[in-house]
Amino acid sequence: MTHETAWQQALRELGDVRKVEIIVGIPTFNNATTIEHVVKTVVAGLDKAFPHASVVIVNSDAGSRDATPEAVKQAVGERLPTVLVQHLATGLQPGPFSLHRLTESGVPGREEAFRVFFGITEELQAKACVVVDANVRSVTPDWMEFLLQPVLEKGADYVAPLFRRPRYEGSLTNSIVYPLNRALYGKRIRCQSGGGYGFSRRLASLYLSKDVWEEEAARFGIDTWLMSVAVAEGHEVCQASLGAKVHDSKLSVVDLSIVLAQAVGAVFHYMEQYQDVWEGRKGSSTVPLIGPPYEPGTETVPINVDRLVKGFRQGLRDLLSIWEIILAPETLADILPLGLVEVEEFRFPMSLWVQTVYDFALAYHEKVLHREHLLKSLTPLYLGRTASLVIETRQGGPQDVEAAIELLCETFESRKPYLIQRWRFQ
Amino acid sequence: MSELWQEAMVEAFRETTKRIALFLPKLLALLTFLILGLVAGWFIKFILLRILKAVRFDLLCERLGLAPALAKAGMKQPASHLVGRLSFWVVFLLFAFMGIDALDLPATANLMSVIIGFLPHVLAATVLLLFGLLMANFFAEAALIAAVNAQIQEARLVANLIRWGILMFTAAMVLTQLGIAKEIVVAAFSITFGGIVLALAIALGLGGRNIAREMLERRLQQKKVKEDEMSHI
Repeated sequence: MTHETAWQQALRELGDVRKVEIIVGIPTFNNATTIEHVVKTVVAGLDKAFPHASVVIVNSDAGSRDATPEAVKQAVGERLPTVLVQHLATGLQPGPFSLHRLTESGVPGREEAFRVFFGITEELQAKACVVVDANVRSVTPDWMEFLLQPVLEKGADYVAPLFRRPRYEGSLTNSIVYPLNRALYGKRIRCQSGGGYGFSRRLASLYLSKDVWEEEAARFGIDTWLMSVAVAEGHEVCQASLGAKVHDSKLSVVDLSIVLAQAVGAVFHYMEQYQDVWEGRKGSSTVPLIGPPYEPGTETVPINVDRLVKGFRQGLRDLLSIWEIILAPETLADILPLGLVEVEEFRFPMSLWVQTVYDFALAYHEKVLHREHLLKSLTPLYLGRTASLVIETRQGGPQDVEAAIELLCETFESRKPYLIQRWRFQ
Repeated sequence: MSELWQEAMVEAFRETTKRIALFLPKLLALLTFLILGLVAGWFIKFILLRILKAVRFDLLCERLGLAPALAKAGMKQPASHLVGRLSFWVVFLLFAFMGIDALDLPATANLMSVIIGFLPHVLAATVLLLFGLLMANFFAEAALIAAVNAQIQEARLVANLIRWGILMFTAAMVLTQLGIAKEIVVAAFSITFGGIVLALAIALGLGGRNIAREMLERRLQQKKVKEDEMSHI
């Protein structure tokens, strides 16, 4: 189903509804096991925090075969107007050579769902739009207050989720997406993707006006670029502390390199779009936090460090000819000796990692290689850096991991002149 | 006797002079064509190099992986220089053939028409060759990265098999296009390709029977092999 037909279907479903205050968007894809809990919790949260607000619930389904949309309708009942839109009817298997628009939530065509939510927000002149993923088991009624109140009462345009996650979870975000975005745009947003978001109508309209839905950017993960556009365009942003994140992830069927290419590709893509913005921004500042104070998770997930180091070593052995094209000679010269050390002694220094990421960004900009190949060839280096982080901090507490992430962010910020200089004059 | 001898001599001399007089302009035409070919070839090469530089052709070749492929084949020059040299020789040879045609020799009577008739095949074969090289390089690189990320130890072997498979297929198509030993090429390609597939099938059947069974079982039963539980994003 194309965007046009999905949009016409949404308008038909809206019927007589002309104006509301809040749009609740729920993107789904085979979420029958969790959807009832999510919808009922959302409705309870709205009743509690905004009992008098006019609300429309929009379910944009990607072609579920387990009657998820019917479950949404049943869970909401007659309590609130509900719009059901089917926007895609393809499967979930990513091809080997293409960047599939498949994000952490596991919903294919996720950007199409967001496009429908933003379109309805604009159409009904809603003050705020909140999006809640259908696979999150840990959703609580408080989420509605935390995600909507900043938009409705404090003038915020974008409310990003902040979850308490087990140690080392989200290491791709913490190693690249968060530090790089923070160094570029000067806002300390943890860039966690999925779960729940809050948007103002102003920002929703901006997203709709952007040339991102069908062009090159659409190939990348929407969760990353929503944040990049909001901070780069100078909108009011804040974070909502949403507690622990327990969700049914479909990510196990997706190759890590595809996820990496989508998340990092989105940041690199917007570096080109917003060059004038990030070149001028120095340092970083915190953003308001809504909800309870953030605390790092104390749980630790099992991690096979040997496998991570093995992945790095194989990359060094087999992808050297590709890295020679991408990396600066001095960066590569520092990486080469890492292939010789024992696992317990393995360390991928932060400054070297920052230089590596900046070199990849420059190579992406210079188009020295097919961009998908370039992004995917970063995977073994990322595995090396992750292994190093685990080895360095596994004897310490959760605060040590947080300290390492903070230090990495500062290194990204302090090394930014290297990026600017080479970006301008290469 | 003396008169007959004298007449024969004069006649032979006259004939030779006449033949030389007739051949000299043709020789002159050949030389002119050769000089014109040199000038035109150099001019076309100069213009082409300028255009290729303006459109950053070398960077494009680098990005598409053509330059590294050429370097591996021993051609260290930039791709634009290669195209420039090729264009020079094509233009020069065209003029040279015109010159040879101007000599009006019985052995080269239909040379130009044969060459012009064959030219579309050469052009098509060149495009095929270029496309094949690009495809081989692109897919080999994609396979290498995918295999490394999947931590398959034989990543380079997989990439090389793909590269040489595509190159073999390209070579067969190019030779068929040029009409060189058509039947032999098709037969050789079919035998080689079929042989490789059969060898792989036998190797998998005998050597990797258990691995293949386990893989299929895992896939069919949707078993998840979790090396670690970490979510990266």
